[in-house]
Amino acid sequence: MKAYIVVTALGCFGLDDKNSVLEFVPFSKEPKEIAEKLVEAKTGTTVEQKQLEAKLSAKGYTDFDKRDADVMRAMLPTLSGKYGFARSQMEFNRFMGKVNIELAKAQVRKAAGRDNLIMQVNGAIEELDKAINILIERLREWYGLHFPEMSRATSSNESYADIVSRFGSRERISHPDLGILKSKSMGMEFKAVDAAMVQSFAEQITALYKQRESLERYLDELLKETAPNLRDIAGPALAAKTIALAGGMEKLARMPSSTIQLLGAEKALFRHLHGRGKSPKHGIVIIHPLVQNAPLESKGKVARLVAAKMSIAAKMDFYSKVYRGTDLKNDLEARARKIAQEK
Amino acid sequence: MMRRRRIPVTRQRSKESVRPFNDLDGVYSIDGRLATVNLMPGVRVYGEDLVKIGRTEYRIWDNYRSKPAAALKKKLKVFPLKKGMTVLYLGAASGTTVSHFSDIVGKDGVIYGIDIAERVLRELIHHAELRGNIVPILADAKLPGKYAGQVFGQVDMVFEDVAAKDQVEILVRNSDTFLQPGGYAMIAIKSQSIDVTKPPKEIYAECLAELEKHFEILDKVELDPFEKFHMFVVLKKK
Repeated sequence: MKAYIVVTALGCFGLDDKNSVLEFVPFSKEPKEIAEKLVEAKTGTTVEQKQLEAKLSAKGYTDFDKRDADVMRAMLPTLSGKYGFARSQMEFNRFMGKVNIELAKAQVRKAAGRDNLIMQVNGAIEELDKAINILIERLREWYGLHFPEMSRATSSNESYADIVSRFGSRERISHPDLGILKSKSMGMEFKAVDAAMVQSFAEQITALYKQRESLERYLDELLKETAPNLRDIAGPALAAKTIALAGGMEKLARMPSSTIQLLGAEKALFRHLHGRGKSPKHGIVIIHPLVQNAPLESKGKVARLVAAKMSIAAKMDFYSKVYRGTDLKNDLEARARKIAQEK
Repeated sequence: MMRRRRIPVTRQRSKESVRPFNDLDGVYSIDGRLATVNLMPGVRVYGEDLVKIGRTEYRIWDNYRSKPAAALKKKLKVFPLKKGMTVLYLGAASGTTVSHFSDIVGKDGVIYGIDIAERVLRELIHHAELRGNIVPILADAKLPGKYAGQVFGQVDMVFEDVAAKDQVEILVRNSDTFLQPGGYAMIAIKSQSIDVTKPPKEIYAECLAELEKHFEILDKVELDPFEKFHMFVVLKKK
């Protein structure tokens, strides 16, 4: 005989095909525990359900099918009275309100995955870059009063901040490229206190660079764990940015590769859809070296190829969790070479 | 993200400055701004102004942040939300509008707030715990069967503010499942999420035609300039 299993906030019900209750195994009366059971029931089987199945088997029911709780919607208030969960409709409503809040909390707790960390860290890196840029601009202006020649000689922001933070005043700098420049500098004189202030400002900037580096390493570890295939195809930076733009691994895994190709090019895409302007060929995938180095006339083609492989990689990472990054990468590079030879 | 634009204030105002708005249940007008009676005096939900008049505290209902408020400002005549109602609210988000609905239905009403995004529901859960008449549900409004077990009985009103291509169908499906006969529905149609390339008027016409198969249309207004490309429609289940 066939029986239907319905998991409700009260517990697990076994119903016959006319929706009348055959057996019932209650949950505890504690809203928080109920919520945890309900979350568990969505993906797996709770202890109560197993007990229910055993009871039903004893009655001769062997064929089980799970049903959504809406078939029991109308009966629940009465049943909750019968099984001692609530004495009145009011009490039932209050009880269910508590269960629902706990359930929402449990779901929120479960909803955030490791990919959320990737998105946050990616965002933190992007914002650090912005902050560093602003501060470096200020540092170059400020220190430029004292040693204007150094700005031209040191094009890398990171080493500029590093030199100022290590040496402070111009006279103390010992650096092969700056030796001659400092002796004939047109910069103003800094008192000890002036140099000390700008030096400590520069120290803060170098600290931000260090922070950025450690975040990058951490991001790479996160990607190895959560999206190894995608990381191999796209590189850590592009992989993280793509996940962030898509809004998570699940959303990315469900995207068609044409959408992935244009992630980050929404403005151009909608301009095109409105009939103003050419269709965009690539969004954030442009930072992939293969797309970047492709000649202008085949950039779109390569972008499509890279996006297609990223889409496959994301699906592998999210669903099957198999690692085939090397194969994908070899395939991608072979196809890119072929496109290059066509010209 | 900080949404607050300026520092909110609690002000004491005289009795003359408040009057019922269009004789609606629980909606007031204070110096030309919409307001509801704060169910949790002293607590702000989204940085809105609080106004104290005598012993009653009102929350200003921002018509730039909340679509029903915008609709009322645009002279919507029919607004059937009343004290004690049970409302299914699709697209509850962090609870800006939900909180005002919660003020209006009061302690005896219930708002079931459905949203698919856990980030915004975090804010809603906080206020649900305080207010006691909001039931937050993390679910996809497209699949009513998945949360039917959490919504009890039939509801008096279904409200939908979901930016989805099939938002009309979502409303119909939820109304079929939860709305009692003769119950009300309100929907904020966002033409930009149905088809960005078509002119909004065309999309409104298509949506209204579809809605008329299931509902009687009681009233409708466009929400410009408070919300661009939106139409607010009040419906009654046939």
